[in-house]
Amino acid sequence: MSEAYLIPGIPAAACVLLLLAGKYLPRGGDFIAIAAIMASLVVFGFVLVDALDVINADGIEGFSKSGGGRSWEWISFDLGGDRRFEIDLGFHVDPLAIVMVAVVAFVALMVQIYSVGYMRGDPRYGWYFTVMSLFAASMLLLVLADNLLLLYAGWEVVGFCSFLLIGFWWEKQSAAEAAKKAFVTTRVGDVGFLIGIILLYAQAGTFDISELFEAAEAGDFRNADLGGLGLGSNGYLTLAVLCLFAGAVGKSGQFPLHVWLPDAMEGPTPVSALIHAATMVVAGVYMVARMFPLFDLADPIALDIVTVLGLITVVMAALMGLAATDIKRVIAYSTLNSLGLMFVALGSGSVTAAMIYLFVHAFFKSLLFLGSGSVIHATEHQDINELGGLARKMPVTAAVFTLGALAMVGIFPFSGFWAKDEILHAVDSHQGLAVYAITLLSLFITGLYITRLVIRTFFFQSRNQEAAHHAHDAEPLMTLPLLPLALLAVIGGFVVFSGVGEALGFPGGFGEFVFSHEPEEFDFAIDIAILSTLLGGGGVVAGYIFWSGDAAPAKRLGEMFRPVYLLLYNRFYIDAFYQWVINNLILALGKTVAWFDRKIVNDTGINGPGGLAVFAGYGLKLLESGKLPNYALAISVGVIVIAIVFLLVVV
Amino acid sequence: MIPINNFLILSTILFSLGMYGVLARRSAVLILMSVELMLQAVSINFIAFAVYLFPEAFTGIIFAVFVITIAAAEVGLALAIVLRLFRNKGTANVDEADIMRW
Repeated sequence: MSEAYLIPGIPAAACVLLLLAGKYLPRGGDFIAIAAIMASLVVFGFVLVDALDVINADGIEGFSKSGGGRSWEWISFDLGGDRRFEIDLGFHVDPLAIVMVAVVAFVALMVQIYSVGYMRGDPRYGWYFTVMSLFAASMLLLVLADNLLLLYAGWEVVGFCSFLLIGFWWEKQSAAEAAKKAFVTTRVGDVGFLIGIILLYAQAGTFDISELFEAAEAGDFRNADLGGLGLGSNGYLTLAVLCLFAGAVGKSGQFPLHVWLPDAMEGPTPVSALIHAATMVVAGVYMVARMFPLFDLADPIALDIVTVLGLITVVMAALMGLAATDIKRVIAYSTLNSLGLMFVALGSGSVTAAMIYLFVHAFFKSLLFLGSGSVIHATEHQDINELGGLARKMPVTAAVFTLGALAMVGIFPFSGFWAKDEILHAVDSHQGLAVYAITLLSLFITGLYITRLVIRTFFFQSRNQEAAHHAHDAEPLMTLPLLPLALLAVIGGFVVFSGVGEALGFPGGFGEFVFSHEPEEFDFAIDIAILSTLLGGGGVVAGYIFWSGDAAPAKRLGEMFRPVYLLLYNRFYIDAFYQWVINNLILALGKTVAWFDRKIVNDTGINGPGGLAVFAGYGLKLLESGKLPNYALAISVGVIVIAIVFLLVVV
Repeated sequence: MIPINNFLILSTILFSLGMYGVLARRSAVLILMSVELMLQAVSINFIAFAVYLFPEAFTGIIFAVFVITIAAAEVGLALAIVLRLFRNKGTANVDEADIMRW
């Protein structure tokens, strides 16, 4: 397992190579990026085999604790005394990381192959693959890091890659602004994350994640106080984990920092599939799952906040998905919806449920995005009012897209069903009835808008003959990657069963591999399954009734509840509110500070002494008359003055 | 023996005369001559102190010889400069040579 560093290392090397030599390579060096991620996947295979050997020998408990990997000293300072400040470049392999690396590397490979077709002919084709390599490297670094600071480094670099790729077509004003919005919004959360890391370090004196867990268990954070805030015995840890969670809120687009994700759809569609569906946005979920022992030891209010924000996001995103008309935006809202569900699962104390959902979500959501990419590629339209009836023209795309949609809604036996079942189970057993009811209700809305998306895009009459006329299934290079994703979207959920897990060489089902407290076998509750299927299926049926044909019932309903429709269409006016705050408060404050800086600091503080020196110089230059007797007089007077002073002072 | 004060008074008078010349004269040659007066005033001081205070040491006397030597060299150089000034300006009046200023 000590080769784990190669998993992020190879794409990083590819990125450097492409940066330096990409221009001189044929095809912009895309094959290097793809080969690198393939190599990562192969190394991961070896690491996985090693890991499974250890697990089968020592048991899963022993493996999780040992976390094989390798560590180098990166930065080291002497702080005086026997204290040292050390940051290690260390890698850590545990079940969470294994699941995450599998998802990241596999989806990245599929997306990069797809991109070869999708991005063909783009003037910055090579640059695209360079950034994709950097993204893969930093995302894998984030996943495998054994200390918080290294994780944070990966965290920031994936954010930076996201910024570069959202603004990939920066000539378009909206893309440039979306990139800026994504970067600034996530930065708000990242500041919280960094503060959380510092708070943890301040008490425990280490960035190492497993050492932090030991410190927390030993009670190092108990009774710690922050400048007399009166935090209580467990308040310090609670505050720290909430700061960590702030980072997850920004990165994973949870309310109130969700505004950037729908706008991020300005980037190329494969980017949306990889970064804004399968990997980067779930980094927040992964981070919370990784730090879960701390959340567990903190005050229960921390997990309640996780649940509540997740729940708000689930409902809001689902509702906004009902009104959006851009095919990619609808999928973006469904991503927010799914991310919210994962946080609800974490808030309910179930790392297993969150991670199984993360696992299958990566497959069906990237499938949906890549499918929508094929639609956009074929028709050059992405407004569902301009689409429709594409199933006849693009049968393969329509088929895999529908499979992905069914998995998203969670219809038996697609992967989403099992994952969602785990979440509902966790919510049912750990949360109140209200949370459970709202989660169930969101499934109905999910069914509604996903059905709307599918039938408005692929079925019934096309609303724009011109767009539909040329449409056809994309070339094999763009269709083939959809097939393994579709397969996993269909069967990926079966890993919850012990039998399937054991057949694959794992110690059991998903819950016996990835867990927070103790292995849990998959527990199928028929009542939950029936409820969720009824609601999800009900959503699909209702969606079919509303939006089939010319969507007359939906239009009537939209007219009847026009204010509601407008509220949803305008995204609850949250974006508008933020814009108002920025324009009227932040920019006003900025102008005041700028005025102070210009008038007080610059004109008085800096130009003042400068002007004085200029003025004094202008006056003093008149002394230089050029006349010899004047100088002689000055010297004489000087000598006399010095002599007098000498006499008075010294003698 | 003549008291040392007489020498000092003499050198002070010489020095003051020289200084007056340097400040008041306009001709470069006369200024140079005034400078010589000041130098010789200093030399008188050196010798007076040497003889009266440290009769066994020659330091002061040697210094006086040095001053005379340096003064000779200095006058040689200065006269050359004055000559150039006269060639260029047609006068040795130092008030005319005031282009080295702001």
